[in-house]
Amino acid sequence: MKMKKSLSALACAALTALTLQPSAGFAKDTVKIAFIGPLTGGNSATGLGGRNSAALAVDLHNAKPDAKYTYELVPFDDECKPNVGVQVATKAASDKSIIAGITHYCSAVAIATVETYNRFGLPVVVWGAVLPEITYGNDFKEIHRVNGTMINEGKMAAEFLTKQGFKTFVVIHDTTDYGKGQNKYFAENLKPQGGDIVATFAVSPDQQDFTAELTKVKELKPDVVFIGGLTPLGVRVRSQMDRLGIPAQLAGVSGIMSAGFIEGAGQAAEGTVSFHNGAPLTKYADGKAFMDAYTKAGYREDPDAYGPFAFSAANLVMDAIDKVGPDRKKVRDVLNTTKGYKALVGEVNFDDHRQNIVSANVYVAQDGKWVYWPDSAYAAGTKKLPGKTAGN
Amino acid sequence: MSMLQLAPTLDTANGRSVGLQRVVVALTVAVLFAGGGFLLHTEEQGQVIALLAAFVALFALGEKLPAGRRVAALCVAHPGTVNLTAAVMVLAIAAALREEHYTLLMMATVALFATAAAGLTLQMAFAGVPNFAGAAFFAVGSYVAAVLGTSGIPHLLVLVIAGLAAAVLGLLLLLPVLRTRGHYAALVTIAFGLLLRSFLEVNDVLGGPQGMKVPSFSLFGLSFSRVTEIGPYDVSFYLPYALAGCFLFALAFAVVRRLEFSFAGVALDAVRSDEVSASVFGLSIARWKATAFLMGNALIGVAGALYGMMNAFVNPNSANFGDSLIMLSILVLGGLGNLWGAVVASVVILVIPEKLQAIQEFRLVIFALLVIAILRFRPSGLMPRVTRDFSSFAKEG
Amino acid sequence: MDPGLLAQYVFNGLMLGTIYAIVAVGFSLFFGVLDVIKFSHGDVVTVGAFSAFGAAGLVAAAVTLPGPLALALGLLAALGAGAASGMLIGRVLVLPLKNAPAVNVLLATLMAGTVLREVIRLGVPNGGNPKPFPALLPEGVLAAGSFSVGIDSVIILVAGIAVVVATHLVITRTRLGLAIRAVAQDGEVAQLAGISFSRTVLGTFALGSMLAGLAGLMLGLYYREINFNMGVLLGIIGFACAVVGGLGSLIGPILGGFLFAGIQTGVTVVLPFTSAYKDVVAFAVIILLIGLFPTGLIAEKSSERV
Repeated sequence: MKMKKSLSALACAALTALTLQPSAGFAKDTVKIAFIGPLTGGNSATGLGGRNSAALAVDLHNAKPDAKYTYELVPFDDECKPNVGVQVATKAASDKSIIAGITHYCSAVAIATVETYNRFGLPVVVWGAVLPEITYGNDFKEIHRVNGTMINEGKMAAEFLTKQGFKTFVVIHDTTDYGKGQNKYFAENLKPQGGDIVATFAVSPDQQDFTAELTKVKELKPDVVFIGGLTPLGVRVRSQMDRLGIPAQLAGVSGIMSAGFIEGAGQAAEGTVSFHNGAPLTKYADGKAFMDAYTKAGYREDPDAYGPFAFSAANLVMDAIDKVGPDRKKVRDVLNTTKGYKALVGEVNFDDHRQNIVSANVYVAQDGKWVYWPDSAYAAGTKKLPGKTAGN
Repeated sequence: MSMLQLAPTLDTANGRSVGLQRVVVALTVAVLFAGGGFLLHTEEQGQVIALLAAFVALFALGEKLPAGRRVAALCVAHPGTVNLTAAVMVLAIAAALREEHYTLLMMATVALFATAAAGLTLQMAFAGVPNFAGAAFFAVGSYVAAVLGTSGIPHLLVLVIAGLAAAVLGLLLLLPVLRTRGHYAALVTIAFGLLLRSFLEVNDVLGGPQGMKVPSFSLFGLSFSRVTEIGPYDVSFYLPYALAGCFLFALAFAVVRRLEFSFAGVALDAVRSDEVSASVFGLSIARWKATAFLMGNALIGVAGALYGMMNAFVNPNSANFGDSLIMLSILVLGGLGNLWGAVVASVVILVIPEKLQAIQEFRLVIFALLVIAILRFRPSGLMPRVTRDFSSFAKEG
Repeated sequence: MDPGLLAQYVFNGLMLGTIYAIVAVGFSLFFGVLDVIKFSHGDVVTVGAFSAFGAAGLVAAAVTLPGPLALALGLLAALGAGAASGMLIGRVLVLPLKNAPAVNVLLATLMAGTVLREVIRLGVPNGGNPKPFPALLPEGVLAAGSFSVGIDSVIILVAGIAVVVATHLVITRTRLGLAIRAVAQDGEVAQLAGISFSRTVLGTFALGSMLAGLAGLMLGLYYREINFNMGVLLGIIGFACAVVGGLGSLIGPILGGFLFAGIQTGVTVVLPFTSAYKDVVAFAVIILLIGLFPTGLIAEKSSERV
C-alpha cells in the first residue's frame, strides 16, 4: 500500500521533471465524479440513458475552451439492489479522488445509501429516484436532488384526472416502495378532489399476466385505471386491457412515461395520460441542442425520461467544482445554496432539504409520442381521451 | 484430486523435515493470502488482471508440477499450520488496510458469505439436502437483528437468537424436505425463498418493500460503527466488522471441521452416499438430515444478522432467488465440502464482479461466462473436498 | 357471479395453464433422459419470442407480407432459435457435465440463461425496454354478455393444446419418442440396444427447446409485448409445475401447469384485493403438495432414482 503510493508519487515527480511545464492553460487537473445507477437488469434502460446523458455532459464540459478542469466520469452499477448500492457507494465515497456523485434511479437503493454519503461526506445529486424520504427523511447536507418527488406527481395526477370528469378509479401498483409510495400519494390526494378508488391491486413488479386482475376491473367498470409502477408494468396492463376489452382511461406515474412504453404498447398507447416532474425536451431552451448532441455522440440507448436530469445533475456538480475547486466540503456548501441555477431541465432551486422545487406536468401519448398536455390535440378538443369516448 | 492421493505417502516421521515442511506450508499460505488481500484492495485494472493470471498460474503449477503437487499435499497434511498462518495473515491484512473502508467492507462481506457457505456445506455437501433459499435464511437473520437490535438485548445474544430463528423457520420446511430428495427437495426450498420474499414485500409489519433499519453491532457497549481509531491509529469503522466476520467464519470453520471428523460427519457422509445402506447400519437418516439442515440454517442466520448490522438496513430484496444462487455458486465453485474453496469462491463471486466495474453493462454476461468456464473445466470446483482416508487407522491398527 | 365473468376467468386460467404446461413439459423431457434440470429453459422462451419478433419485424420492414406468411416466418424463427439454443446448451454444457453433481448442471444452465438474457438485452437495440409484438393473428372479438375473447386468443389456446397433444404423440408413437423413453428408463441398456445416447439426448433437447421457443411466440402473440426478463419467472414456475406434477411422466407437468394457473387465478377471484398474496399462496400450496406427494402428483414409477 505505502509502497504503491510512494511509487506513483515517484513516477509523478519523474513525469513532471521530464515534461517541460507548459503554460498553465494546458495542464488542467483531472477531477473525478461518480455516476451510480442500474446498468444491468430490468431497469438498465433508464440507467444506461442516465449514464450516457451524464457522460455527454462531461464531454461537452471538457470541450469548452475555458474549462478549468478535465472531468472524468466514473460509472458504477448498483444493479438496482440496495446491498450492491451500499457497496459501490462506499467504494465511490471512500475514493478521495472522487469529488461528487450523480446517484441512483432506484428509490430502494437511494434510500439505503444516504447514510453512506453522509458518513463519508461525499456530496451527491440524485438524478432519478423519486421517493420523498430520500431528501425529506433526513437532514444530511450531502444529499441533493434535481428531479421531483412522487408527492408532486400524485397530487398533479389526482387534480388533473378529477378535473377531466373522471370519478371512479382502480389502482394497480407494484409492491416495491416506488409503487406503494405512488399509490399512497395518489390516494391521499384523490379523496379531497372527490374521486373514488373502487379497487387497489398490489402486484409483483415482474408479474406477466394481469388477466385475472383485469377481469375483476372489467366487472367494476372504473373510469380510470391508474398505474403505479414502471414501464414494463404499464405496457403489460395496457396491452392486456385491450385484450379483455376494458374501455377505461389509462393513466400512470412518471415510471411509465418512457419511449419504451409507447414502443411496447404500440397502437394501444394512444391517449394514455402520464405525469412527470420534467417538461418535454422541446420545452427546454436547450432541449434540441441536447438531443442533437446526444444523437451525434452515437450512444446505443435513448436518454429515456431521466436522461435530462442526469445531464443537469452532472452540469450542476461540475459548475460547483469549477467555482470552488475539487474540495468535497466546499462543493457541498455551494450545492446546498443552489438557487436559480440554469439547467437543461429548467431552473434548479433547492429548498431547505436540498430538494429541487419542481411542479409536475401532464403528458399524453399522441401519435407515437409523449406530448405536453397543453400542446396536445386532446387539450385542444380535436381528439378525445379514450376513457371519455367510451361513454363514461 | 491428484494432490490428495499423495497425502498419505508423505514421510512425516522426520522431525527436522517436518519443521521445514511447516515453513513451506506457511509461506505458501502467506503468499496466497497476500495476493488475495492485494486483489481485494487494488483498483488498477492491469493489476487485477495480472493478479488473476498469477493465481490461475499458481493453481496450475500446484497441480501439474511434481513440486507443486508436493507443496499442495503438504498443505493438506498440515492443516494446523495452514489455519494458523491464515489467521495471522488475515490480521496482518486487516492491520495494513485498516483505513480502507471499501476493502474492509468487501473483506467482511466475503467472510460472512463464506460463513453462510459453511452452513450450506453442512446441508448440501455433508447431508445432501439441497438448499436453494440461502439468501432467505440470511435475510431472516438480518430481520431479527433489525427487530431485536434496539430492544436492549445484548447483541451477541441477538446473533444467537437470529441463528435460532432461522433454524426454527427451517423447521417448517423440515417435513417436506425430509420426505423428498433431489430436485423435489430443491423446489421446496426455492418455493420457500420466493414465498418469504413476496410475503415480506406485501406485508407491512416488517417495513414492507422499504425494509427496516438495522442498528449497528455493539459489543459490550462499543458500537462498531462509531469506531474511528484504535490506540494511535485511525481505522475504518468497517475494520471491527471485518474482524468479527473473519472470527465468525473461523468459528463456523471449526464447527464444520469438528463435525466432519467426528462420528456425525461419517454418519452424514454415509447418509448422503447411500441412504439404504446407511439405514441398514442403524443410522437414523431423518435425524442426521434434520440436524444438518437446522444447524446449517442457524449458521446462515447468524451470518445474516451481522451482515444486516454492517449494512445498517435490510429489505425483502435481500431474500431474492438471485442471492441464494450466489451462495450456491460459492459452494459449488469452491468445491462441495471444502471450506477453503468456499473462501476462494467467495472472492471470485463477490469481489471480481466489483473489480469489473470498468466494463459496466457487460459485467453480468462476462461474469456468467466465467462461472460457466469454471464449471465446465473444473467440474468438482476450484478446490475439491479432501476425500476421507482411513488408511492411517488401518496402519495403526 | 355473472356467468360471463366466470367464463372469462376460466378462459384466462386455461390460457395461462397451457403456457405453463408447455414450458413444464420441456423440463420433464430433459429430466427424463438425463436426470438434469436445465434452468436456462425460461430464457430459451425469451429467445424464441425475440427471434419471432426479429424475423417478423425485419421482413415486415423490407416487404409487406400477408399475415399468415409473416406468422409462418415467426413460427419458423421461434422453433429454429429454440432448437438451436437448446442443442447448443445441451452439447456444450449438459452432455459434458453429465457425470458431475446435479447442482453443477443446474448452476451452469442458470448461468447460460443469464448469458442468453444479457445477450438479448445488449444485442437488441434498446433491448432493456419492452418490445411490442406485432399482431400476426386475425383481429376481432367474440363477445357474449360480459364475456369477450379475441379470436387470436382462441387460436392460441387451441394451438397450445394441440401442441401438448402432439408432443404426447411424438413421445408415444415415433421412433424418436421410443428412443427417448428407452434412454429415460435406462441409458446404458438403451445403448446396448443400439440407440445413440448423445443423439437421443440432443434430440430431446431440441424437442423440448422447440416447445420453449413456441411458448415464446405464443406469449408474444397473446400479450403483444415481450421483454428480455420475461423468461425468468416463467422458468421457475415451469420448473415448479413439472416437479409438483411429477417429473417422470408427461401428464404430470401438464397437470402441474393447469394447477398452478388455477391457484393464481383462483386467489385473485376469491381475494381480489389481496391479490398481492397470490404468489405467497401459490408457493405455499406447492410446498404443501410436495410434502404430501413427495414424488409429484403423478408419482414416478420407481421412486428410487439415485
